[in-house]
Amino acid sequence: MPPDAPPVRARRPRLAHALAQNLGFVLAAAMLASSLAIYCGVFYGAQGTLPGEFELTSAVNNTMPLVLAAVAQTLVVLTRGIDLSVGGVLDLTNAVAAVSLGDTVAGMVGGSLLVLLIGAACGLLNGVLVAYGRLQPILVTLATLSIFQGLAIRVLPQPGGQVPEGYTAALANPSGPASLAYVALLALLWWGLRRTRLGVGLYAIGNDEGAAAANGIDPRRTKLLTYMLAGTCSAMAGLFLAANATAGDATTGNGYTLASIVAVVLGGVSLFGGRGSAVGAIMGAFVTTMIVNILFFAHIDPLYQSFYEGLFLVAAVLLASLIGRLLRRR
Amino acid sequence: MADPDTKSGLGGRVSAVLTQDRRRIAYAALAAVLLFALGALVRPGFASPGSVSAVLVVASFVGLVAAGQMFVVLIGGIDLSVPWVLNAAAILMVTSSLGQDGRAAYALVLTLGMGLGVGALSGVGVALFNVPAVVMTLAMNGIMQGLTLGLSGGMTCGSCASYAPPVVRAAVHASLLGVPAALWLWVAVAAAVSAVLSLTGFGRRTYAIGTSARASYLSGINVSAVTVALYALSGLFSALAGVMLVGFGGQAALGMGDPYLFQSIAAVVIGGVAILGGRGHYVGVAAGTISLVTLVSVLMALNMPEYGRSIIYGVIILALLLLYGREAGET
Repeated sequence: MPPDAPPVRARRPRLAHALAQNLGFVLAAAMLASSLAIYCGVFYGAQGTLPGEFELTSAVNNTMPLVLAAVAQTLVVLTRGIDLSVGGVLDLTNAVAAVSLGDTVAGMVGGSLLVLLIGAACGLLNGVLVAYGRLQPILVTLATLSIFQGLAIRVLPQPGGQVPEGYTAALANPSGPASLAYVALLALLWWGLRRTRLGVGLYAIGNDEGAAAANGIDPRRTKLLTYMLAGTCSAMAGLFLAANATAGDATTGNGYTLASIVAVVLGGVSLFGGRGSAVGAIMGAFVTTMIVNILFFAHIDPLYQSFYEGLFLVAAVLLASLIGRLLRRR
Repeated sequence: MADPDTKSGLGGRVSAVLTQDRRRIAYAALAAVLLFALGALVRPGFASPGSVSAVLVVASFVGLVAAGQMFVVLIGGIDLSVPWVLNAAAILMVTSSLGQDGRAAYALVLTLGMGLGVGALSGVGVALFNVPAVVMTLAMNGIMQGLTLGLSGGMTCGSCASYAPPVVRAAVHASLLGVPAALWLWVAVAAAVSAVLSLTGFGRRTYAIGTSARASYLSGINVSAVTVALYALSGLFSALAGVMLVGFGGQAALGMGDPYLFQSIAAVVIGGVAILGGRGHYVGVAAGTISLVTLVSVLMALNMPEYGRSIIYGVIILALLLLYGREAGET
């Protein structure tokens, strides 16, 4: 917000240029690498051995919902919006999953499709209000968050319901880090999306909506599709959450709104739109999990957990802007 | 250029008398009156003086937080640290006063100072280090939550069960000329906030920054200083609400600040403050606060279950937004 001089367009060495352009992404990767290293260090200090397959499996399974929520948040943030209803969609879809997944394969597939459709419908509501209602995304999603949370409690008043074992084995297999495949698949899908009309369009309207419209991109249609896609991603997060917990709870999703924003910011996605990548946000999601693990194995009082998380968030953002400024000065 | 009001139909002719700002305030005030009337229909006695004053006292707590929230929204910011600044203030108030009247003044200064300091810290992050307001205040909320939980041992500390000093409780529950003290305080705050924003240079600088930070900077306004001051004020008002709540309820509790984030933002927006900054008045925010709290009270009078309240709450905010929260359409 404070006035900043427009960046000077001078010729720079190619490496420095590439670094400056992808700074957020590079920093996210560096953060993930260093948090992994520190985690291995404190884990070794506490257990006398390095973390193995079990730790990897549980870390991946526990992070998957946040990974998907972070992808959803990235989509919306890239269009210069923000989605506060992510947690509400997770609540609702998690609750629906817990009551609708059948025991047969057909029942599981049908239930999952229903859940994804509900997520898309939630996104449709947000998208229509933002794109065609011309309302601020932060306000629309604040209001729909309340609606989705209410619906979730209506669907599942008490924690419960059940998720068939086969479903848990497929999405959050506890006996091996199979879910890493989903992370790879997501990265691949993102790579594909970036090359579609929608992918180009959502970056374009995040950078300059007027210029995008002048170049033949329909901002309203693009926003509508983006919010629908984000709602579908949040619904997938709800499915993974249900699979991992093997039951449903209409309130566990609440924390994911803020957590997804943290993951997006750590992943180097600009909150001012148009810059960043879902792969960065996925790394950001894993960084937040690693921080929780580090605090645990470093025997830090869990009551102080959010203190360190908040401190880390500010430090990471400050560091990124400092490095960005240094690179730009050269 | 076409008349901007032609799209909203009727609005065109009335707009000569009612500016957009005044119309928004009128909508919010009208909503509050209608809700009281509706409440009286479903539950006789809802609009009785006693019941109205009870609703208004609850609204005054939201109104205090919303005053702080409005200050930062006026420059296009947002304060997500409300829940735990408020909660920390409530807990600091009881733990530092130990329920003794003699320590009440010291505790009050300490608590309000804490709110001011925490808010200023957020402001420094936003103004001087270019951290986006959402990230800075979100992180500050986490920091305050961790500190509050950690230092109080999860509310298990010896002094945590203390009550607010009797003198504070008596002050909050007192009434003057039949009007509760909490309402007098709110009226005073409303008058002070309105005066500061409308009559002082600080207020004019606030609106200027909200309209265009760049232009304000170029015309010699110390944008950073004003930004820090506004975030500090937001922290101060959250802390004040914490003190009032603990005085009203007697004891502090974990999570007592949680509802106030959503409500303060909703009240600010319903009151006609533009979320991107630059326009809005506290009169509207106060009206928005009252209609919001009245809505909740009416739904509770209807014995509406929690999920229904939550859904209707969201739907009504959306309806109000569609009524007057729309951005000017281009394309």
